[in-house]
Amino acid sequence: MANGFFTDTTLCIGCKACEVACKQWNQLPADGYEFTGDSYDNTSALSATTWRHVAFVEQNAPPDAPPTLNKWLMMSDVCKHCTYAGCLEACPTGAIVRNEFDDVYIQPDVCNGCGYCVPSCPFGVVDLITHADYTETRHFVSDGRTHDDATQKTGGVAGKCTLCYDRQKVGAVPACAKACPTESIQFGDVAELKKRAKLRVEQLSERGTDSYLYGVDSDSSVGDLNAFFLLTAPPEAYNLPARPVLPSTHQPAGYTSAAFAAGALALVGYALFRAR
Amino acid sequence: MSAALDPDASYRGAGDGAPLPAHASPTYYDRPLLKKPHWEWEVIAYLFMGGVMGGSGILVALADETGDDEALARSARYLSFVLASTCPIVLIKHLGRPERFLHMLRIVKFKSVMSMGVWGLIAFSLPATAAAAAQLVRDGVLPEELDFVHALGPRALTNPLQLVLGAFIAGYTGVLLSATANPLWATGKRHIPAISVCSGVAGACAANNAMLALFGGNETTARKLDRLESVAGIAELALLLSFRTHAGAIGLPMFAGRRGAKLRSATMFGGILVPSLLNLVPFHARWKTLLASALTLAGGYVLRESMIEAGKESADDPRVSSRQPE
Ligand code: SF4
Ligand code: SF4
Ligand code: SF4
Repeated sequence: MANGFFTDTTLCIGCKACEVACKQWNQLPADGYEFTGDSYDNTSALSATTWRHVAFVEQNAPPDAPPTLNKWLMMSDVCKHCTYAGCLEACPTGAIVRNEFDDVYIQPDVCNGCGYCVPSCPFGVVDLITHADYTETRHFVSDGRTHDDATQKTGGVAGKCTLCYDRQKVGAVPACAKACPTESIQFGDVAELKKRAKLRVEQLSERGTDSYLYGVDSDSSVGDLNAFFLLTAPPEAYNLPARPVLPSTHQPAGYTSAAFAAGALALVGYALFRAR
Repeated sequence: MSAALDPDASYRGAGDGAPLPAHASPTYYDRPLLKKPHWEWEVIAYLFMGGVMGGSGILVALADETGDDEALARSARYLSFVLASTCPIVLIKHLGRPERFLHMLRIVKFKSVMSMGVWGLIAFSLPATAAAAAQLVRDGVLPEELDFVHALGPRALTNPLQLVLGAFIAGYTGVLLSATANPLWATGKRHIPAISVCSGVAGACAANNAMLALFGGNETTARKLDRLESVAGIAELALLLSFRTHAGAIGLPMFAGRRGAKLRSATMFGGILVPSLLNLVPFHARWKTLLASALTLAGGYVLRESMIEAGKESADDPRVSSRQPE
């Protein structure tokens, strides 16, 4: 059984309760007080210490079109917990694991901050926590109980959504889904969520709104996403890749190219060095 | 095919079958879609040193197996050993949590190029250390009583190991970059690994040639190194040009602007063409060898620096990162 998210962007009202709940539950530091001027989005992007991010997409209709074509889209972005996760495959320490809920989890006490997961995520999610001396309270789960370790220093390691591993361990719903007032973020068994999501696409279509599921029945090398989305604009509009590619698929070509070059040069070298 | 992940799915907006308005922003406020690698000079230096180290491993085997180029085999053995001992230092320094470097060794992961590289580096350093120790005994630096180190690292064993593992080290650094979602690096999956190998071999020839020029070696060996350096350099140049054509707009962060100018002057021209010309001139002097070597090595460093820095810029453009190179 896989647990994940169905984020129905047509229900999102942009309240950012998920962002705040995630920050609070995970004791993540604030991002500062920058005003971007990009609609209501002053968070800008997911980061090592921002694990939910509400995107605000304003699309104005052309001047001659009816104003009903104006769109103001909101979408709560999160780590996709990919079926084939680039970050997990790249991690050389084994810090990134797939847990019993089929989610992609970074063990903060194992990660050594090599940073290889960062360029290996096709969705630009995971990043290194740069607050070098930042201490936080971390919740560790053992024996089905949650413990706090206030001395855990987490600077210098990679950070991203844990899909509230600690909460799931004790049977609680992830903090962001719990806080969402419109059920735009729905948590549960992914197979069940997918069924629900497909019905929702049909329902919306009957009501005259075109929508599609991002990360379901995917033909991409990253596979289906355990945190998938219902969208009403092209992926790029929300800063999602239209064609994500699993980075490890480049390895065969890479190793072949290296082997070919090394073999050729070794042969040339052999010929040169044998010559008297 | 899912509309979401289909690059060519045309999305119809507003429920009335109208195409998406042309003025709709194709990006999200032009914000980067991907995260940048945070790698700084440590990783650049490692990619460079790893190339010279791997190339030296190849040279050990070539020198030893093909005749009496003892001075070269000696210099390549020492160089491999010294680099194999220094590389871990910069690698550990680049970590966000350096005290946890041993965590790399808690797992062997074939899917992770970085894990393969770490184990490759360790595997390389074993024969490199054994061979260097044996060489020290032969050279009379270590007392003869330590003769048993010969038994630990017989050349028949260390030479092929240094050849194969050296080639791996010189090449995997390129695969490490290519096997990411970074548009520039991923687009170069066929070019960057081969470029890394060529640059590594050219750099190893240059470094060892400089060692021979400084500490004495025979003239014939030096000319052989010159030639191998030029062959590797010219191959690298050809691959770089082919990469530039292949990458097109995705290659701009590396080949255009000030970074492109630096790559052209310091690597393509100053680091490959000039030393190759110097090597061709039938006049030989120690200063000439040293100059050619310094230029080649500097070109190799600038190459690694442009690849890393251009990679960071490449991750910034959401138009490029949306449709990722297959
Ligand atoms: S979205 Fe990125 S960080 Fe999240 S699981 Fe997939 S590859 Fe890893
Ligand atoms: S930064 Fe940490 S989680 Fe990311 S690849 Fe390196 S060890 Fe793994
Ligand atoms: S599941 Fe938990 S960690 Fe992930 S975004 Fe929601 S609140 Fe944050």
